[in-house]
Amino acid sequence: MNSLIKLELARALRNRKFLFFSVLYPAILFLIIAGKADSVTKVDGSGLTVPTYMMVSMASFGALTAVLMGNSERIAKERESGWVRQLRLTSLPGRGYVLAKTASAAVVSLPSIVVVFAVAAVVKDVRLDPWQWLALTGAIWAGSLVFAALGVALGYLATGDAVRPITMIVYFGLSILGGLWMPSTTFPQWLQDVARWLPTHAYAALGQAIEQSQAPHTKDIALLVAFFVLFAGGAAWLYRKDTLKA
Amino acid sequence: MDGMTTTAQTAAATTVVGFDQVTKTYGAVRAVDGLTLTLHPGETVALLGPNGAGKSTALDLLLGLKQADSGTVSVFGTGPREAIVTGRVGAMLQSGGLMEDVTVAELVRLACALHPRRYPAGDVMARAGISEIADRKVNKLSGGQAQRVRFALATAGDSDLIVLDEPTTGMDVSARQAFWATMREQADQGRTVLFATHYLEEADAIADRVLVLHRGRLLADGTAAEIKAKAGARRVSFDLQGPIDEPALRALPFLTSIDVSGQTVRIQSADADATVHALYGLGVRPHNLEVAGLGLEQAFVAITEAEEAKQS
Repeated sequence: MNSLIKLELARALRNRKFLFFSVLYPAILFLIIAGKADSVTKVDGSGLTVPTYMMVSMASFGALTAVLMGNSERIAKERESGWVRQLRLTSLPGRGYVLAKTASAAVVSLPSIVVVFAVAAVVKDVRLDPWQWLALTGAIWAGSLVFAALGVALGYLATGDAVRPITMIVYFGLSILGGLWMPSTTFPQWLQDVARWLPTHAYAALGQAIEQSQAPHTKDIALLVAFFVLFAGGAAWLYRKDTLKA
Repeated sequence: MDGMTTTAQTAAATTVVGFDQVTKTYGAVRAVDGLTLTLHPGETVALLGPNGAGKSTALDLLLGLKQADSGTVSVFGTGPREAIVTGRVGAMLQSGGLMEDVTVAELVRLACALHPRRYPAGDVMARAGISEIADRKVNKLSGGQAQRVRFALATAGDSDLIVLDEPTTGMDVSARQAFWATMREQADQGRTVLFATHYLEEADAIADRVLVLHRGRLLADGTAAEIKAKAGARRVSFDLQGPIDEPALRALPFLTSIDVSGQTVRIQSADADATVHALYGLGVRPHNLEVAGLGLEQAFVAITEAEEAKQS
């Protein structure tokens, strides 16, 4: 399976468009959103400056992009082309394909987190303790697994032309409503009530808690675990259904 | 009981593939209908049939990609998946896509790495005749080149059974001939080769044994020569002078069809020697006598028509 992971990775790193959107785009978006903000104004109720707050949002957004966008469309396409069938004629275990996809996405999501951090630290003077940098990287990276599972589920749910619009709707819906692009405190109250239950909201809240020198909230972790179980279970179910059909 | 066990084990050892009353339906369509067959070690077998005959479904069942509704499929005495995991089966699917955005060499190296009895990737590419396109991107290949890459994936290791679903689709005549030469090397190494085709001349030229599949059922099983015989496989034509006694001709032994136009008589016979012998026995003096073999193409059409006539 390592050979498949290596090849998936080599191929992801060769895809310039994908690398731009998952690695550079979140950092650029961070500069656009936080660029004019000073380092004094706090985001409502968080005690964090705008650049500090948005750094976590954009790092989470970048990781989300890397694990969700690449996989869902690739899996749908490769199911259609028959590559998934061809792989089933090898000694690779059934789950190997999905695991290799997830592992390679996780490798790409790491630079997308680190690049946002580097830009925030260098350009916007974001300063945190060393343990906070490490904990942030670890939490955002680990949290991205939730969305990797969602990407796999979407790849097995939709086919052909449908997969891209569905992925886009889910991706932008989760990003914007979850408060990754702007703090959800700017939303009307009813929308805030909805946003609170989204996995992306809990995901960004993990990082923000670390920035506030707190342990991540139990509710956020519980919510992410619940979504992970839901997405991974859905992906496993859809995968099995697809295997029987093929 | 001991005796039975021994018999079963012996059968398993000499059976590469066993289908026992295998049925697979899609809604109302019986894609494979009570199929029973056995493949033996070292055979090169053609699975012949028109589109929709159930060839691809049969191969999917053999490879464990689909599950039979009833009946059992065994490969080397185990289930299909076990046979694949242990590297005993290499296969090339008609619908087998290739990973995109990687080079041919990368893909072949992956297939070798995944094979429990792998060969060096360089050797695999050389044998499949794709060394010159090793650095090309997989999504930039012609249809014939892609088929060769699929063949390389199917022969990435020392498999005992090679399964090929319509392997020469998309190849021109010379590419096809080169491909079959490559495939024959595989068979000469003692492997069992099973290939599905609707190119009948391929089955005729390459296979030791031909299985004719029609509407999911095994219509015929034998050498290409036997299949031809089964369809009334010799064509006898001659000219007669004077009035033609058609009923007498029609009564000739082994005759399967007759066509009289003007002074020319065309007969299909299951045993041309006996038919011609009896023809002279009628006391007629045929001119321009010709006896020719039917191609498998015509034999196949005849078998299929006979089957359809029986059903309607």
